Amino acid sequence: MAAAPGALRSHCETFVNSLESLGREELAARWEIARRSIRDNGVTYNVYRDPQGMDRPWELDMIPLLLPPAEWAQIEAALIQRARLLNLVLADIYGPQRLIREGLLPPSLLYANPGFLRPCHGMRVPGDIHLHLHGVDMARSASGQWWVLADRTQSPSGTGYALENRIVLRRSLPEAFRDCQVHRLASFFRAQRETLAALAPAGRNHPQIVLLTPGPYNETYFEHAYLARYLGFPLVEGGDLTVRDRRVFIKTLEGLQPVDVILRRLDDSFCDPLELRADSFLGVAGLVEAARAGNVTIANALGTGVIETPAILAFLPGLCRHLLGEELRLPSVATWWCGQSKELQYVLDHLGELVVKRAFPRDVREPIFGETLSESEKAALADEIRARPYDFVAQEKIALSTAPVWLDHRLEPRSLVVRAYATAARDSYMVMPGALTRVANAPQSTVVSMQSGGGSKDTWVLSNGPVSPVTLLPSAEGPVVLERAPTDLPSRVADNLFWLGRYAERSEGLVRLLRSAASRLTDESGSTDAPELSALLQTMTAMDLLPRRFGERVPLADLEQEILAMIFKQRRQSSLRQTLNQLRQFATVARDRLSIDTWRILNQLHHDVRTPKARVQLDAALALLNRTIMDLAAFSGMEMENMTRGNGWRFLDIGRRLERSVNLVTLVRAALSATNASDAILEPLLEIADSSMTYRRRYYAQARLAPVLDLLLADDGNPRSLAFQVTALAGHIDHLPRPPRAPVPTREQAAITRLQATLREADIKGLCEAQRQGSAAPLDDLLYGFVTELQGLSDTIAHYYFSHAGPQAS
Amino acid sequence: MRYTISHTTTYRYSDEVSVSHHLARLKPRQSAGQRCVNCEQAIEPSPAARSEREDYFGNIVTFFAIHTPHEQLKVQARCEIDVTPPTAPPPEQTPPWEQVRDGFEGDPSTETLAAYEFVFDSPLIRTSRTLAEYAAESFPPGRAFLQGVTDLTRRIHGDFIFDAKATTVATPLNEVFESRRGVCQDFAQLQIACLRSLGLPARYVSGYLETRPPPGRPRLAGADASHAWVSVYNPGTGWIDVDPTNNQAPANRHITVAWGRDFSDVSPIRGVILGGGDHAVNVAVDVIALGGEE
Repeated sequence: MAAAPGALRSHCETFVNSLESLGREELAARWEIARRSIRDNGVTYNVYRDPQGMDRPWELDMIPLLLPPAEWAQIEAALIQRARLLNLVLADIYGPQRLIREGLLPPSLLYANPGFLRPCHGMRVPGDIHLHLHGVDMARSASGQWWVLADRTQSPSGTGYALENRIVLRRSLPEAFRDCQVHRLASFFRAQRETLAALAPAGRNHPQIVLLTPGPYNETYFEHAYLARYLGFPLVEGGDLTVRDRRVFIKTLEGLQPVDVILRRLDDSFCDPLELRADSFLGVAGLVEAARAGNVTIANALGTGVIETPAILAFLPGLCRHLLGEELRLPSVATWWCGQSKELQYVLDHLGELVVKRAFPRDVREPIFGETLSESEKAALADEIRARPYDFVAQEKIALSTAPVWLDHRLEPRSLVVRAYATAARDSYMVMPGALTRVANAPQSTVVSMQSGGGSKDTWVLSNGPVSPVTLLPSAEGPVVLERAPTDLPSRVADNLFWLGRYAERSEGLVRLLRSAASRLTDESGSTDAPELSALLQTMTAMDLLPRRFGERVPLADLEQEILAMIFKQRRQSSLRQTLNQLRQFATVARDRLSIDTWRILNQLHHDVRTPKARVQLDAALALLNRTIMDLAAFSGMEMENMTRGNGWRFLDIGRRLERSVNLVTLVRAALSATNASDAILEPLLEIADSSMTYRRRYYAQARLAPVLDLLLADDGNPRSLAFQVTALAGHIDHLPRPPRAPVPTREQAAITRLQATLREADIKGLCEAQRQGSAAPLDDLLYGFVTELQGLSDTIAHYYFSHAGPQAS
Repeated sequence: MRYTISHTTTYRYSDEVSVSHHLARLKPRQSAGQRCVNCEQAIEPSPAARSEREDYFGNIVTFFAIHTPHEQLKVQARCEIDVTPPTAPPPEQTPPWEQVRDGFEGDPSTETLAAYEFVFDSPLIRTSRTLAEYAAESFPPGRAFLQGVTDLTRRIHGDFIFDAKATTVATPLNEVFESRRGVCQDFAQLQIACLRSLGLPARYVSGYLETRPPPGRPRLAGADASHAWVSVYNPGTGWIDVDPTNNQAPANRHITVAWGRDFSDVSPIRGVILGGGDHAVNVAVDVIALGGEE
């Protein structure tokens, strides 16, 4: 299936002409923007054992791989055939096993294969589809012939990266994209979604489909979050799911909601600790039994990993003739499985020319190129193969064709491997008109893998005529196509920014509280029974910030020590140091969203509270607290003035507003109950809530309970009041991205509306009078109601928008 | 010979368990030499879901899930079973062991295929050169298969010390091999690993062994335990049991519950619980002979 050289040239010409018309500088400038958007979108790929740690930015090359129509038509037909074939092979392996009895598959290929999941044998799968999504790694040899290198059959990765590549490239090179008449990808994802919905267990009209991820430490976690949002499926980890009465449910605040279809990105054996790997913490106990009972559809079906072994490649031509009555359209690279005596002998005789791989790899292993081995290394390898022959395959080394890669303003040839995809669709398969193309990381390298640090390319399948535009508007069934407006934000990043906002505010609240106490301690000449200090200490005790005995009279030295410990002690619960450490941790994971200046401020904060060498006096600590308040103000200034108003900023600000509301109400409630609403606590309250100035300007008077509470709770002109925070939150919530078929109003909207109504209707003056007359309960109930509602709101947001492994903070 | 067997497993948890899922393989499988007369399982608290099926190897497995909070789980299996002593061929009449090893490739008969599966590595058993060397002493060229197996059984019994404290369920085989200590489960898996290292088919059998008190002493209730031994495949006559822990060919005092590639395929109760904290397990087994032919 070599490409017709003429056709290829003409398509290339179109592309090159289009680029040339832009000019080098324009190209370079556009590419810089594209790279930044990859970074900003948080497109990452985790490389295990990478000394630089997690979250390596995704590498994309500016030059797409062009595939002309005729060449693609042949690939497409071949891939459909291959997916149908492999699905039939799987159905036989997990069913009657005739292929083994009839000698078309060696039994040892199954028995020695850890991917053969015995608990899944005999299980029926909906529509007899085991293989929902098939990934095929292909390479083109120098002559133009395509070869299959490997099949990915359990949970092929890369469709999301292919989509992201397309979005970036299309935005950078819109002229070339239009001129070349490139096929769009959206129809593929729509087909995938429709198939999954259609395969839900019988009788489920609006099936709940979820995407199951192993979590943020997985190499392709970015893609899981990305696809989940693109396809409109909730992203869940094993811990979010539970099995009851042989049905799968997702745990929500409203209770358990049934799950009908699981699109899994978790390897087979990790899916159920009860029946599969007992040491898996990522799966769902009872999942296999639920699938066996026909109560949930799992895509790809459990056990599909059994045919990922390269050992099976040698048998595919025979299997294809037997099962489909056709010749295999796309050859696999020549493969010898050492589990058979003749093949073993051949491999041992030709070690120097072959590439040796593990047949059933338990972890990432580089292939061994026989030509690079010394005689003694070859002998050692031969020994190893003889000891466990069925663990090895050998493949012919093929010369990969190269494609030009854009590097430092010039082009360089690199070897490439294309991963193409087929999804089950209407009794057959549909091939993605595009692919994820990966390129080697060095000019001479023949190893092409993202794990070994290569890059990627977009893949343009060209059309002979104009391509019908695929609508980007949500269809009646919900959006399949992601909008690339600022609504797009990886849920992991949203999560971190939300907590970054909460911890920034938590730090500020704590510093202000500590400062109020410390300043009174230093200037009210040595007595803990000065009324304001004493009221403050009682409040802090009620908030569990201080041990109980500080509610009474204590020696001044003890109190000083305690306040210093609350600032500097690393291991003390809720100490300032611990809170700032956590702030920094969230900042670290959201670092690509923060400007260098912001990062600098955060560094400063972190350094200030590290345990000082000499003993610190309280007045020095007070100076430090003042400085910390300035730093935190600088941080929030950066956030207000310098961050784009996308969803990232929105979640950061939601976190901040929520935390400020909860802190304020908690503080007021503790203050009133601990001091029986004493006037002595009012001044400190205004101070901690940074509202003293406003109060003076409004009332020109001594602090009194009713006006203080009105200012702190209900006055929406005061940027520190609860009412102000709630109004801001309501605005944010109205702008949050909506999942398809979300109820209107959403639960967040309903919660915030309730809060607003309660605030509006609250008779603060009346409640304060009642409090004065000894009836504290109604006011306390009001405040308690606020805290509960706010915490519920936080949980709802966290659960809905980032319900993956959210941090265990509270 | 008829036996009544009672096998009670009690889990006590330090914290409440809110949800639990379990798989139990406690019902003896039916076979030519075994016929269950009466078999029942009682589970407390009462499971919300329960189903029974045959697993891949033909063992009877019960799935059950408990959704009510509990601090104790009690699974009580009782059965009455008739056991007919198996007949093994005279060892010297079995084929040379190499013939057994080489007889699998190209024979697609159901019985051969079913045996071939037990030549390969399994989750808890990995073959190795060290074990092959250890086993080779019992299998000089041309030796009759079952003679070799019997000799290997005798050697393991002699070389290894029964020591209930030396190993746990999770102790890997190479440690057992080095320390030369373990319990029936270790010896069975070790012998299987030795045989598979030579390319010979062997499977893991779990079940019970009737123990008899010393003459003149009464039987102690609950004194018995689950037991494990090995079965090897002899082409032509089928599977033959050997017991490396007791150095004997099981007669009718062994009662088979389940078999598989290793312990992980047949563990009597396997579970995943939510909550629970620490737990303590108590297992009480009674195997009582009701009489019949010896």
